[in-house]
Amino acid sequence: MKLSPKISPITYEVLRHAFFAIIEEMSAALKRSAYSTNIKTRADFSCAFFDKDCRLVVQAFAQPIHLATMVHLVPNTIREYGPENIGPDDGILVNDVHRVGGTHLNDISLVSPVYYGGEVVGYVGNIAHHIDVGGGVPGSLPVSTSIYQDGLIIPPVKLVRGGEVQRDVMELVMANVRGKKENAGDFRAQIAANRLGAKRFAELYKRYGKEVVENFIDELFNHTEKRAREQIRSLPKGDYEEEGYADDDGVEDRPIRIKVKVSIKDDKVVFDFTGTDAQRKGPMNAHYGVARGIGAYVLKCIMGEDVAINHGLYRCFEVIVPRKTVLNAEYPASLVGMAEVGTRALEITFRALAKALPDKIPAQGKTCICNLSFGGVNPKTGEEYVFYETIAGGYGARPNKDGMEAVQAHWQNTENSPVEELEASLPVIILRYELIPDSEGAGKYRGGLGVRRDYWFKDHAATFSALTDVAKYPPLGLFGGLPARPLRIIRNPKDGDDTHIGSKVTVSLEPNEVISVQTPGGGGYGNPLERDPLLVLSDVIQGKVSLKRAREVYGVVINPETMEIDWKETESLRRSRMRVG
Amino acid sequence: MPRYRVGVDIGGTFTDAVAIDEESGEIITAKVPSTPQDPSAGFIAALEEILKKAKNGAREFRLIFHATTLGTNAILEGKGPTTGFITTKGFRDILEIQRQIKPKLYDLFQEKPKPLVPRNLCIEVSERIGPDGEVLLPLNEDDVKRAAETLKKNNVVSVAVCLINSYINPNHEKRIGDILRKECPKLFISLSSEVNPEFREYFRASTTIINAFLMPLISEYLDKVLSALTTRGIAAELYIMQSNGGLAPPEFVKNRPAYIVESGPAAGVIAGQFIGSLLGEKDLITLDMGGTTAKVGLVERGMYKLAVDYEVGSMARAELGFTKGGGYPLRTPVIDLVEVGAGGGSIAWIDQAGALHVGPRSAGAEPGPVCYGKGGTEPTVTDANLVLGRLCEEHFLGGAVKLDKQGATNALKKLAEALGLELLEAAYGVIEIANASMLRAMRSISVERGYDPRDFSFIVFGGAGPLHANALAAELEVKRVIIPPSPGVASALGLIVTDVKHDYSVTRIQRLDTANVDEINATYSRFEAEARAQLARDGIAERDMRLLRFMDVRYVGQSYELRLPVPHGKLSRKDLEEIIVAFHEEHERVYGHAERTEPVEMVNLRLEAIGVIVKPRLKRLNKADRPADNAVIHVRNVYFRDEGLVSCKVYDRRKLLSGHVIEGPAIVEEHDSTTVILPGYSAEVDELGNLIILKM
Repeated sequence: MKLSPKISPITYEVLRHAFFAIIEEMSAALKRSAYSTNIKTRADFSCAFFDKDCRLVVQAFAQPIHLATMVHLVPNTIREYGPENIGPDDGILVNDVHRVGGTHLNDISLVSPVYYGGEVVGYVGNIAHHIDVGGGVPGSLPVSTSIYQDGLIIPPVKLVRGGEVQRDVMELVMANVRGKKENAGDFRAQIAANRLGAKRFAELYKRYGKEVVENFIDELFNHTEKRAREQIRSLPKGDYEEEGYADDDGVEDRPIRIKVKVSIKDDKVVFDFTGTDAQRKGPMNAHYGVARGIGAYVLKCIMGEDVAINHGLYRCFEVIVPRKTVLNAEYPASLVGMAEVGTRALEITFRALAKALPDKIPAQGKTCICNLSFGGVNPKTGEEYVFYETIAGGYGARPNKDGMEAVQAHWQNTENSPVEELEASLPVIILRYELIPDSEGAGKYRGGLGVRRDYWFKDHAATFSALTDVAKYPPLGLFGGLPARPLRIIRNPKDGDDTHIGSKVTVSLEPNEVISVQTPGGGGYGNPLERDPLLVLSDVIQGKVSLKRAREVYGVVINPETMEIDWKETESLRRSRMRVG
Repeated sequence: MPRYRVGVDIGGTFTDAVAIDEESGEIITAKVPSTPQDPSAGFIAALEEILKKAKNGAREFRLIFHATTLGTNAILEGKGPTTGFITTKGFRDILEIQRQIKPKLYDLFQEKPKPLVPRNLCIEVSERIGPDGEVLLPLNEDDVKRAAETLKKNNVVSVAVCLINSYINPNHEKRIGDILRKECPKLFISLSSEVNPEFREYFRASTTIINAFLMPLISEYLDKVLSALTTRGIAAELYIMQSNGGLAPPEFVKNRPAYIVESGPAAGVIAGQFIGSLLGEKDLITLDMGGTTAKVGLVERGMYKLAVDYEVGSMARAELGFTKGGGYPLRTPVIDLVEVGAGGGSIAWIDQAGALHVGPRSAGAEPGPVCYGKGGTEPTVTDANLVLGRLCEEHFLGGAVKLDKQGATNALKKLAEALGLELLEAAYGVIEIANASMLRAMRSISVERGYDPRDFSFIVFGGAGPLHANALAAELEVKRVIIPPSPGVASALGLIVTDVKHDYSVTRIQRLDTANVDEINATYSRFEAEARAQLARDGIAERDMRLLRFMDVRYVGQSYELRLPVPHGKLSRKDLEEIIVAFHEEHERVYGHAERTEPVEMVNLRLEAIGVIVKPRLKRLNKADRPADNAVIHVRNVYFRDEGLVSCKVYDRRKLLSGHVIEGPAIVEEHDSTTVILPGYSAEVDELGNLIILKM
């Protein structure tokens, strides 16, 4: 195969490096000048460049959940605002998901034009998670029943006009949010990143000429598409269906059905979510872009490293979701839990694909985002504070090895806050931060372990919110692998008296109360009775699996004194269990 | 009697030595195979090789500086002694949980780095220090004794202790240390409050564990080296190169091996800093281009930069973006480098959809580029340089190796045909793509960290570096390019031109406007007393001690700090106010904005203690009294992007004298390297023999 004769393969590769270098510089600028921990340390943001037809050319991010959101948001924002109304050095601020697409209100985007030679040649955009956008509870994670309760809605508005920040707009936004210092600092970083990106891309157009760059972009899309289709052709054709459930929407105690049919066709893949439940009153709803992101993420995972993420990849798959369902929700649905329902749908999609590619797909992992926030008045300073974080869980077992312990869900990759950093800046003490033994989904290969983190609000009344899932429907195993321990959130844990308070909840705590968050493990792969007894022994020695569980679930008998396997007993126990099974 | 200062660098395959005659500045190099079974054997062999090469029959070494990848390799291969970890109850799993992220975004079969201590040897003790250093729960000493039993039972050789918030109150850790010393007298013990008393528990614990993991190994190794030197009657002083770019004596390193984990790779940066200092050039971007990768560093205001968020086993790769979590965090200072998979041996290849790529796969030393004639078949960057006339088939390595130009041409022709290009176009394309990838690394170390390359000079090392230097410089618009003599060897100079250096730090989070000045003064005084005592033990005279104070500062609520210099002597409230002002300015400079009304807090107090070691004199060149014509070897055709094939003068660098000016396009050849000077540029030879390339 050859590249189009319109561009030299040398120029093509040099420009490819140059585009990446600029988008990386833009991301580094955003990260460097941001204020909040969430963006600076946890890298909860993404930057992208779109051509003049609003096609995604290059994107740099640490959170693949941002994959498809900007693909909707940027073109729609430009259309809504009217390209004729956007001038040089302008910046359009937006988080109005129902109007232009996106994730949830916390993710606020800034879109700016790239001008070269007096005309628009493209757009730079960035999306960043702000820790609070107002609404009912600190951190903006309420169990709300409409988008209005989620927080402040920002339609496409001009925050930056000809390089000048519009004070009125900024004031209006800032009046509606908590954590003003962080928010203001992060907005500044977003503005700085776009300014830099627009300048650098304009320089690139100047250096190489508009025609060369535009030819490059076309060829980049073609090249990506060719690479992707080639790989799709090597997949086993057919329709692969799966369905599953998210726990509930936090308002109504009724599971949410998610259904998917993955059709691998000659050179494209169709993800059809027809049969998925209607949108909910509670916040477990997502914009269509989130569903499209599932397609992009899943495909990227089963393809080689060298398939880039741009418009060319989006040509190779289709995502069908009927309107007004939880994966294609419309106004006025609350969207706070979009990533929760999205992550569940993603894991169900992988499960469907496991039927086509049993050697390539892991069992279900943590399956939730585990959004947590808390706030109150810091007794040391008398100042209001708000904090947001998410906690890792187990990774699903793989066809040839165990799942990782304590990692974020597939398309989520935000870091933890160090305990000492947290305690030094907020009035909370972490009592435990540890793996949960026996939380794995058992299997020939076992899932990773979930994580327990206990928060002690020693000397003040705080508000604690969780907006997550997977307390009722656990992460599932594959091909005989067992499900993992589900999520638990416990108020004031005591031995033997652990009542889960729900996965979508806001509680007002008295001073000296403890909240224990216990995340799910990952599902197992294959029959646990076929697990290598030496691996079971190693898990027992490591304290990851109990002696009791080794015997009951894995059929491995270990002498507690010598910590050696009783091979004879193990064999007969396994044989009898196999017969029963 | 000439006396040598020698640097010995033990790598995976070869042990390199570079020696400089302290009188004449003459440099001798040696290369012997490494001896992994007993690395000290290779060490001695390298020294003997140097003596063999010393024309004047020298037998005497005065100083031996030593870099080794022993530590890195032990960590990456997980080959170390049985190591234990003791921590606060509830936090046994900080090594398993790590940063809770996946090192790769789309790999369903990836793994997190395997903890250096297995979970069954991560032992909890009941105790808890609060964030202000208060004791929330006293230490249960019975737990510690039980832990000692477990360590003994499992034949643990070395243990790391890291308790939550011990950075602010080390008493429980110290007590645990005392009990363990009593219960297990042979155990190696590393306390986090001594190794790295900074906050953020996983990073401190990881650093302490790396220390514990390496202690038995490095102690044994250094003892062997010392006794081998004694046996051979070599009475030179031995210093070990640390990751911070400074030296430390063996006795210090035995207790703090975490400081020498990345002890070799940054030699080019230090060499750049040294040569820059001789030229009065304080701001430099350094490039060290080898066979497989190119490493880029940065020197600002005369100081090389330290890495933020360093992980052993996952060096910053320009092409990998932000992803962290692939290695073992190390919080002792490490010189900042960005590496990219572009070297002389990087292979040019075409993907299935027809696009051309260069690297990261490399032909390495075996089989090497096609033109080496050792069985390589895939075209490399070196092959492209040869085909373009930039390298000479006859003069490579001083003529010791004759290059196979026909072979290189054939390999590149195949590539060109597949791409539908002319041979020379394709060959130049390979160079351009390798350059694009190095430019990404250079942008990453400069613009992405807030520096404008136009304010910097560019100094280039590695045999292949000078072939590419001018083109890279033109792209980034750096001020000028410096090509030191023998660029292939010059980076090793970094090993022998550095100073003794120790770092001290502690975390104290306090708002600067209300901070306790007495406590800050007491901390710096304590650091300085410790540092002076240590430097004295290192054999440094009082007049050669330089103590530099720093403070890491941030806005209250941020989780990201900037390092600022702090004045000497007793600090007053006014000094702190000046630090606040300096912080706003630095924040503005680095991040582009400052919040002058926001409160500012100090996070870490730091001291850098330097024991200055007199630098060797470099050889000077004679002054030229006529043009460089008699240095011209021949004239040959060389390909340039815009001009095509141009007839170029090729100069012999050995014959160039101080003051000579060469106008581009031109080629300068020397034993281990070739410099390309582009049309529109000129190179002037300075008295140290550096080629200074400037735009005409």
